[in-house]
Amino acid sequence: MSQEKQNRFLPYLREDRLPHIFCPGCGNGAIINAFLAAMEKAEMDFDNIAMVSGIGCSSRIPGYLKCDSLHTTHGRALSFATGLKTANKDLDVVVFTGDGDAASIGGNHLIHAARRNINLTVICINNNIYGMTGGQISPTSPKGSFGTTAPYGNQDTPFKLAELVAAAGATYSARWTTVQIENLVTSIKDGLKNPGFSFIEVATQCPTYYGRKNKLKTPTAMAAVMKANTVFKSAADRMRPRDLEGKIVVGEFADYTKDEFTESIDKLSVEKSGNRTIINSAYEREL
Amino acid sequence: MYHRIIGDFKLIIIDEDLCKGCHLCLFMCYKNVYAISSEVNKKGVQLPFVKFEERCTKCGTCEIACPDQAITVDLPENWWMKDDNDINFNPNFTKGDK
Ligand SMILES: Cc1ncc(C[n+]2csc(CCOP(=O)(O)OP(=O)(O)O)c2C)c(N)n1
Ligand code: SF4
Ligand code: SF4
Ligand code: SF4
Ligand SMILES: [Mg+2]
Repeated sequence: MSQEKQNRFLPYLREDRLPHIFCPGCGNGAIINAFLAAMEKAEMDFDNIAMVSGIGCSSRIPGYLKCDSLHTTHGRALSFATGLKTANKDLDVVVFTGDGDAASIGGNHLIHAARRNINLTVICINNNIYGMTGGQISPTSPKGSFGTTAPYGNQDTPFKLAELVAAAGATYSARWTTVQIENLVTSIKDGLKNPGFSFIEVATQCPTYYGRKNKLKTPTAMAAVMKANTVFKSAADRMRPRDLEGKIVVGEFADYTKDEFTESIDKLSVEKSGNRTIINSAYEREL
Repeated sequence: MYHRIIGDFKLIIIDEDLCKGCHLCLFMCYKNVYAISSEVNKKGVQLPFVKFEERCTKCGTCEIACPDQAITVDLPENWWMKDDNDINFNPNFTKGDK
């Protein structure tokens, strides 16, 4: 191999910003790669992608990619994305969000975006903790896990995000971890191709806060624990709830088609006014 | 940007400027191709190196799993590739029930 050959993902990244800010072993970097590999497999146009993110370590991902992006306010990524997609439904809108961003402050936006079935691809990076702000407990922190806001262990039952979003009405919902990277790539590809709300929850490692607070000292220790705790959905369906406690169930929780939000708006618009939804209303005459 | 490449290998190169020494490549490679060097570099990183290149099946897993885009595997040489652009996983490597 010649020395000029470079990593296959670097052409998509803003190389002047590398190495990125993520801690050693943080799953965010691998999720960038998985997304880019999935995008190549789905044969999508990178220039037609608009990325939207909220606030958090995971939400910094679009800043490293050479495509259009919106880095919005905490929890509101899906609201901005809904606006963007409705205004220009020809864009491929991808949302990067964290567990805190999507499920606590942005929880309502999440279930309603799923209920509307708007054609977005949401990659929810679930590291079971608020990474950026120093290790507070999030709505997905496992029962008994430690964080700066739970010095005696978390007492609450966590959300199961992929199941929650499937129940809320998303047409594609799946959960994988950074250890099953091949399945993750295939799943993101399916999500990108699905013409509706696609939600991919990625269970990942935050060695700096979750790991340190929970006596998992290295990224590889976290990956090994994650691998050992993974149960495939087909196997989990045959297991008792108490055997599934603390396990990560991976697989697809929804995969079907139904009416999509922006399509319905377009249809209504044509029916009532004879026009497709106007893209840039200020320039209506020029269109 | 100038990157220093460790070792003089044909298939796999590791970029010393990007690697942060998480050692997830060691964990993710199912053929145990990598090992950890005993010294630390100037950034304090204990770099991985390619110890058993002949074992590598060029599945591309480490390339995707490396969070810092530090690994390059010469994928298009792969035996299951139909054409150069078809960067894919080995269909026999995993069927999702691993
Ligand atoms: C309105 C508002 N509230 C609180 C914060 C502080 N804040 C920043 S990031 C964050 C949590 C991020 O957690 P998560 O979404 O899980 O991302 P991670 O860093 O774990 O990837 C919080 C609470 C904020 N920036 N804005
Ligand atoms: S604090 Fe956690 S989530 Fe944030 S970059 Fe570090 S390891 Fe990743
Ligand atoms: S996975 Fe990447 S960053 Fe981590 S040790 Fe291996 S080469 Fe370095
Ligand atoms: S390409 Fe596959 S076999 Fe080769 S080093 Fe990477 S993970 Fe190991
Ligand atoms: Mg988080």
